[in-house]
Amino acid sequence: MKAMAILPAFLPIDEIKASTGQILPDLDVRTDTDFDRSEADVLVVTTFTRVDSELLEKFPTLKFLQVASTGYDNVDLNAVRNKGVMLSNIPVANKESVAEHVIAMVLSLLKDMRFLDNELRNGNWPMITGSRELKGKTFGIVGMGAIGIRLAERLLPFEVAIVYHDVRRLPEEREQNLGLTFLPFERLLEVSDIISIHVPLTRETDNMFSSSEFGKMKDSAILINTSRGEVVDEQALIGAVKGKGIRAGLDVFPAEPPDFSSELFKLDNVIFSPHIAGVTLESQQRFITETVSNVLRYAQGVDPLYRVQL
Amino acid sequence: MKGYELFEDAVESLDLYPVFGNPGTTEIPMLRKIKGYILTLHDSISVGMADGAAQGSGEAALVNLHDLPGVANSMAFIHTARINRSPVIITAGQQDMRHAFYDPLLYHNLLSLVGEAVKYKVEVTQASDIAPAMARARSIAMTPPMGPVFLSFPMNVMDQESTKVDLVKHNPNVNSVDKEAVLEIVDIINHSSNPALVYGYEIDAFNAHDEAVDFAHALGCPVYGEPLGSRAMFRSSDTSYAGDLLPATTLINLKLLQHDLIVFVGGDITLYPYLPSPLLPGKNVLFVGMDVSNRIGRSYTMNPKLFLSAAKSMVSRKGNFRRADDYNFVTTVARERRDMGLNFVMSSVRKNFEGYTIVDESISASPIVRSVMGYSHLRYFSARSGQLGWGIPAAMGIATVTDRVLLIIGDGSFMYTVQSLWTAKRYDIPLKILVLNNGGYSILKSYSKSYYPGLENADFFNLSLDIASVAKGFGVEARIADNNLEEMAWLREGKQVRVLVVNVNSEIPKLFL
Repeated sequence: MKAMAILPAFLPIDEIKASTGQILPDLDVRTDTDFDRSEADVLVVTTFTRVDSELLEKFPTLKFLQVASTGYDNVDLNAVRNKGVMLSNIPVANKESVAEHVIAMVLSLLKDMRFLDNELRNGNWPMITGSRELKGKTFGIVGMGAIGIRLAERLLPFEVAIVYHDVRRLPEEREQNLGLTFLPFERLLEVSDIISIHVPLTRETDNMFSSSEFGKMKDSAILINTSRGEVVDEQALIGAVKGKGIRAGLDVFPAEPPDFSSELFKLDNVIFSPHIAGVTLESQQRFITETVSNVLRYAQGVDPLYRVQL
Repeated sequence: MKGYELFEDAVESLDLYPVFGNPGTTEIPMLRKIKGYILTLHDSISVGMADGAAQGSGEAALVNLHDLPGVANSMAFIHTARINRSPVIITAGQQDMRHAFYDPLLYHNLLSLVGEAVKYKVEVTQASDIAPAMARARSIAMTPPMGPVFLSFPMNVMDQESTKVDLVKHNPNVNSVDKEAVLEIVDIINHSSNPALVYGYEIDAFNAHDEAVDFAHALGCPVYGEPLGSRAMFRSSDTSYAGDLLPATTLINLKLLQHDLIVFVGGDITLYPYLPSPLLPGKNVLFVGMDVSNRIGRSYTMNPKLFLSAAKSMVSRKGNFRRADDYNFVTTVARERRDMGLNFVMSSVRKNFEGYTIVDESISASPIVRSVMGYSHLRYFSARSGQLGWGIPAAMGIATVTDRVLLIIGDGSFMYTVQSLWTAKRYDIPLKILVLNNGGYSILKSYSKSYYPGLENADFFNLSLDIASVAKGFGVEARIADNNLEEMAWLREGKQVRVLVVNVNSEIPKLFL
């Protein structure tokens, strides 16, 4: 088996080469696509590498494409399907860090942390705060995949009501164990105090949250997006923040890095992070472990895990 | 006919079989002809069974107690029947009056002993009065507000001769509705700005659930249950239902703060503990029903079912109240699964015992039992007196008139009348018993924690009982539930009495301010 990994240059490539060399000596680790042809039958990429027909043509013998990420919208699925290549992602490695990131953003917004921090930095000692508790709120999760499920598990001790929507409903026993109530999407928008989005970017989820959806949400509700920026209509969000006091925590943007001159970055009720919800030291280690494990599975003739249905 | 024959004839004619009791020598003369008798192993249990049978059937039920000891042993149960408005006819044997002057063994003034706990009491001194006294006692017991009555039968009366009396089983006419009063009440409602309804036990006793729902929908206002209601006060699945009032003035006032008019129908207010706030100050408060206390506000005595039916089309819509959907419960159940919390347990009970009549003596768990199991016609019973020990006998009594009865009881309560299990087994009473074992008197711990912090740790609040073994000692099948509560299905199966012990979280609930 020949394998290639195309990784972003900001990663510690030498360290990765040293460690993977102990496991997959023939792995060709590189940071670019400036080559004409590869005989690799396994290709490992991150979301930073666009995988389209042009790149795939360079791999005449490619059998298995492993994306070392939860998301895989950098992959042209039609091109992969036409080439007859298996595709896997790693939907489990960052669920802990994303779930914790969501809760951190929610608590920060509920507790008014940005305001309080600014006040003290400006030499003020505020006596009044609009700080609220998470306990007792209705927490809506849109998209109940691995990250949504882990978020629900982490939320249970906070004594919130957890409602969710997904195109595929979980089995009843799973819902009961997690304390989940399935709701139609519109009903979830109406009843939730907090909504966190965990859907892949598809034709159906593109601009899933636009003016109509914000109109159905409670005043002052909180929206957290750690999925894909395109799922939320940015202009509609700006209107909802200004018009009905919606608060938001955004980790992802339609274009990354975003246009920092956007009005979005002038709003007080919005906090940001740079598409880093899933990135922690621990999660990166899990991504590497899971990715290597999956490639090893393939090398042993075992079906890799986390196959994406093409 | 002899006195004892007249007694039996009255029991038969008034449709009072079976007789619940625990006889002594002074009762032997009056039982010589009795055909259907359910023996309990303590006098009080027979009163509890009759209470349950009476409430479950809506008919009077007969108890036979043993003179002074039997009546005295049963006083708490007689009081509970009074508070539960339960038509229980209590009979007791009395010493032979021919030597009463000598204060013989067991002799006492039974009428003074039973005191104010009954609606009517009489000592029958001649055989000719036996049948009329029984008929009169039954009619008084059945007259709303229903309640227990007491008849003392001296031994010597049972051997006196008299002629047979043809008795007619007659229920009092309670179909009264005051049309002028209805108009007055409707006028008050229509001139209010934000009324609230409080329904009580009579909604169930008069089977007025349909009318109660229709009236609430016509008004569009929230419906509350009276505090500590003894039976289903409203069909709690209806979206007008806003929960039960708590039994303390301050909490009632806070709950009803936004309303200018409070209309109680078929219910009243029970308080405990004392809080210094006056009750509903500045509110317009009306009480409508057959059981009005005239403590506060204005009271209108009439059949609550007929009132609701008559007033429904005359009231103006005052709001669009709809209870918010509760998404918290599912999450709470999932969280409590980890440590056998009450919401998790009751969620399992609800799945396994849908359609069952619930008898509730879970005390500290009762708010959760009520909330999760809900109310519907003849599907919920509890003692409003605060007594422990009523649960097993009452549930057995209800199970003599209907099957599919589940008793939910605490470990402390269970032990008060545990010998009831012998009767359940002996007479094949199809009762299912779920014991919520939290290892002590949780209600006392909760009260102590609120008012005398630290006392909740007192050793005398703690129990350590092998309840399953105790039940097995009476020949009753018993199990202890595992973490997944798989045994709920076992408890439900079959017609025989079964006991399931669930070792629940012993965390002290906050039930007081």
